[in-house]
Amino acid sequence: MLFRVDVAAAEPLADQIAAQVRGGILRGELDPGDRLPSARELADVLDVNLHTVLRAYAKLRDEELIELRRGRGAVIRGDADAARLRLVELARQFVGEARRQGLADAEMLAIVKEAQP
Amino acid sequence: MNRPRTVVAIALIWLPVVATAASWAAWSDRLPARMATHWSGTGPADGFSSTGAFGTAMLIVGVVAGVAGILAAVRAGGTVGLRYLLGLAAAMAGSATGLWAATATATLDNPADPRLGWRLVFFVAGLAWGAIVVLVAGSSPVTTPPPPPAVTPLDLGPTERAAYHTTLRSPLIITATAAAAVVIAVVAATGQSALWALLVVPVLASVLFGQVRVTADRRGLRLTAGLVGLKFRTIPLSGIAGAEVAEIEPLEWGGWGYRVTPGRAALVLRRGPGLVLHLTDGRRFAVTLDDPGTPAALLTALRARARG
Repeated sequence: MLFRVDVAAAEPLADQIAAQVRGGILRGELDPGDRLPSARELADVLDVNLHTVLRAYAKLRDEELIELRRGRGAVIRGDADAARLRLVELARQFVGEARRQGLADAEMLAIVKEAQP
Repeated sequence: MNRPRTVVAIALIWLPVVATAASWAAWSDRLPARMATHWSGTGPADGFSSTGAFGTAMLIVGVVAGVAGILAAVRAGGTVGLRYLLGLAAAMAGSATGLWAATATATLDNPADPRLGWRLVFFVAGLAWGAIVVLVAGSSPVTTPPPPPAVTPLDLGPTERAAYHTTLRSPLIITATAAAAVVIAVVAATGQSALWALLVVPVLASVLFGQVRVTADRRGLRLTAGLVGLKFRTIPLSGIAGAEVAEIEPLEWGGWGYRVTPGRAALVLRRGPGLVLHLTDGRRFAVTLDDPGTPAALLTALRARARG
């Protein structure tokens, strides 16, 4: 898969890197058990700070997409679910747009409930 | 193909064939109808053949080698490995003539009890003929490598950084090495205990090639054995003249696994699409990938950026 970041973009670099991995899982380019490049290596080749990549990987770990183990690096989890990930991605967009429109949490939940058929 | 040195090298490949034919003609009235053709060490001969059949066989080997040399010059002209192909043909022709000269002179020297003895030197000299032809053929001229097919470079903005990373798994290699390991283990267990050591081969092959990580980035291309983290092939970006996407036909690249053939090397884990790099020294490197277009476009873009 292709890691691609734009240092001039408004989105933080760590978020960009995390988004690339999510995209890779969604598109089937990353399979459970696949190992991501080591944080040090990825930081080196993308010419970004090591902590930026570590932050991206920690985020993916918190999202239960990858496992971080000392010595083994970052591995895509066996239960990384592309279908669920797609929903999370849609929800992320929904929340982003709702925030921009100034909606509160309760209003967002109401919209989600209304969306049920 | 028409380089003078190549033509001289081909003439030298044919020289042993001529020597066999000429010496046979010169000795024909003195050689018996059957001559000793096999010895065990320095003892008396223990195998005899018809002189006509043995001489003909040696001539055929020489002619085959000579024709192979010409074909190699035509087909592989200008490649890095041509001199070695010519050398191989010369070693083949030379050793056939060496065998002929050793056995024929042994018979001529003492028809009653021919001994090979020191005449093995003829055979060794025949093999060494290959090395001479390698030197005569000389290294290939530094031809400007053919311009690699155009790949649309990745549209990488000046503020963008990109890196490609993928993991190759090879069920084929894992199955084949597991099967080989079982066969070796069974044979070893039934008494040939020396064969246990051979188990190293399939185990090593599966460790190295069962899982391979491929990265393409601003450093160039790297292949890493996934299970042990050993980088076994790195090609710096500056060594890449161009990248293309091609269908990899394993037999064209020397088979499956990590193959090195004259002028090219490849990691072939299956038949199908692959990334082919044209290196600045005229050689090529290929690796089978599901999505070779992405690294090809990325390396092309990074190469263009590095050139400025």
